[in-house]
Amino acid sequence: MGRFPIFQSPHLDEVERKMRPSGDYRHGFLGKDDRKLVQVLSEDEALVRSLSLTDGAIARKLADLTAQARKGLGGPVVVEGRFRVQVQEARGKIACPWGHPGLYPKTHVELTNLATGERLVWTDLAVHMIEAHGFYQGQGSPYRMEPSVLKRVLDL
Amino acid sequence: MIQLVLGLAALSGVTAVLALLLEVADAYFADYGECRILINDGQKELTVQGGSKLLSTLMDQGIFIPSACGGRGSCGLCKLRVLEGGGPLLPTETPYMEAEDLQNAVRLACQVKVRNDLKLEIPPELFLIRVYRSRVVSLENLTDVIKGVELRLIDPPEISFKPGQFVQFQVPEYEGCPEPIYRAYSIASPARRADTIRLAITRAPNGLATTYIHDYLREGDEVVFNGPYGHFYLRDTDREMILVATGSGLAPILSILHQMADEGISRKATLFFGVRARKDLFYQEELRAIEQRLPTFKNVPVLSAPEPDDHWQGETGFPTDAAKSSIQDPANVEVYLCGNPLMINAAVKMFTEMGIGEDRIFYDKFG
Amino acid sequence: MEGGLSAPVILFAAIFTNNILLTNFLGMCSFLAISREINSALGLGMAVTFVMTCTSALNYLVYYYVLVPLDLVTFRYIVFIIVIAAFVQLVEMVIERFSPLLYVVLGVFLPLITVNCAILGVGLFMIIRNYTFVQSVAYGFGGGVGWTLAITALGGMRERLSKAPVPEALHGPGITLIIAGLMALSFMGFSGMIQMQ
Repeated sequence: MGRFPIFQSPHLDEVERKMRPSGDYRHGFLGKDDRKLVQVLSEDEALVRSLSLTDGAIARKLADLTAQARKGLGGPVVVEGRFRVQVQEARGKIACPWGHPGLYPKTHVELTNLATGERLVWTDLAVHMIEAHGFYQGQGSPYRMEPSVLKRVLDL
Repeated sequence: MIQLVLGLAALSGVTAVLALLLEVADAYFADYGECRILINDGQKELTVQGGSKLLSTLMDQGIFIPSACGGRGSCGLCKLRVLEGGGPLLPTETPYMEAEDLQNAVRLACQVKVRNDLKLEIPPELFLIRVYRSRVVSLENLTDVIKGVELRLIDPPEISFKPGQFVQFQVPEYEGCPEPIYRAYSIASPARRADTIRLAITRAPNGLATTYIHDYLREGDEVVFNGPYGHFYLRDTDREMILVATGSGLAPILSILHQMADEGISRKATLFFGVRARKDLFYQEELRAIEQRLPTFKNVPVLSAPEPDDHWQGETGFPTDAAKSSIQDPANVEVYLCGNPLMINAAVKMFTEMGIGEDRIFYDKFG
Repeated sequence: MEGGLSAPVILFAAIFTNNILLTNFLGMCSFLAISREINSALGLGMAVTFVMTCTSALNYLVYYYVLVPLDLVTFRYIVFIIVIAAFVQLVEMVIERFSPLLYVVLGVFLPLITVNCAILGVGLFMIIRNYTFVQSVAYGFGGGVGWTLAITALGGMRERLSKAPVPEALHGPGITLIIAGLMALSFMGFSGMIQMQ
């Protein structure tokens, strides 16, 4: 849904049901958010556009930082002289709630902006959901990526 | 008034008749009758009542296929080959299928429904798996993120496993997790102790199972697990052994080292145990004790980021680099790796480039 | 028309000239959502046809042999829905048994057939137009086939359209509704051919 108008459909209901806390995803990608998934997607899409960014650009930056972090094999790595990133990978693979083929490794990446000290966390699946589905997760999810925070911390 | 009552009566009557018809239909259509399941070319033959999913049907017959999600179709671990009778591949299975799976008639046991006779192929080691009930006898903070859990078996009272194997630990429902889930953890204790097993579990950020184990599990709690699983175990050769472990990846390697000490296997073996700082080291006394019993074994802890207070005089850097510089004869070496998946990938690449054959590199990849 | 049209004419009319979906605009919801592929569209269409035919027959019997003798015609809305719901459950069981792939592909749309207004609409129309049993069954069958025709045609068009340069804002429901409107326009050419009322 990152590229086309967002509309409600039974498939989206199914995706939303999978996102609520369950045995598969502990925090649930919607966290404590009461809004419906279609609302979260529409509002975030408007936010991203108002910041003059695109989902693709944000996801590319995050993926690039993740690749750099991987080189540290679990230890911290300084990227571009302004970020410190560290990756932790747990065993197992996780599927995307949108139900298409493809499994994602359970990574957990932590970034610290060396200039401001601000921190950001994300996972491989979170980056995929931004890029392919325009989904930044709900308020209260530990991996909620607020577009304005992303812009500020990543200097986009 | 009478019309209303009559109306309601007619309504109920019609509904009752329809409900009855549906019951009859359900009994007829949902009755798949008896199905014969042939496993491994007739090695095992089961006759079961059809209608349930293959995973639960096999489990009821005492055959355990690994599963981390309890049959919900979200982990992709319950793969087996269905040669006949499985029906078409379902969209719920496609996310988990690799290209070679599709060619080999691989299916997810939790999605295949038993409707008729089936022909299956299951790895024979899965027949040795049992469900165990146990009790937590001790919880130890090995480091600030790794917890040691000791479980005494209740029923069955003993377990037999190959050192290096893992079990699937069942985490019950708890706050934040509405359904039971399973996660794999390697056994850290020696195989000779058949009535108790020890696990070393690292806390994963926002992890479902590790949050439960670190924050909610208490001594005296009952734990259900099944196993043992895995192809990571000591190979019976004379080659020199290089063991590389990071974090809780030390667990299966420690079990293998105990096996070597107990059985008097005196092959040259060196362990490169990589952590960040001194506070992340654990099980060091046990390793030193094994060094006493096995003169051919050497324990080499490697710190990648020692703190100044550590006053660390030993090796620094990554354990893979330390291992690499210690290998003199790549043609005659076996490598055992366990731990951080990133490290394992980098290490396998490095060791194969050195000339060590892929059939001599063993590692535990849960994912 | 009270008994004026013969059953085959009613059948023909229900499929083409008085298509329940394109002329009466009933049964649009699953039409929009499932018509993305011809195979699933055909599968759903067949299920709907089967349900429509059988429930027309059943509802006819229940209406004239239970409701009318007991003077309970006002209850017809509830009773018809109950009959449709029960019957859809039966169809679900049959599909799950004989084609698990279709069952999973249709997913939630199978139980949604219950609230497909075209099915209730067919039942109510046959009462209003005072059809006989044979006429009702013909109308039900024709209505189902007509619905299947519309949904399959739309599915085919959308499959072709997936390669076309549709403006971004119209992707999904936008372009689908436009196509449906154009199809309805073309079917308007049939109006007046056969008087069904």
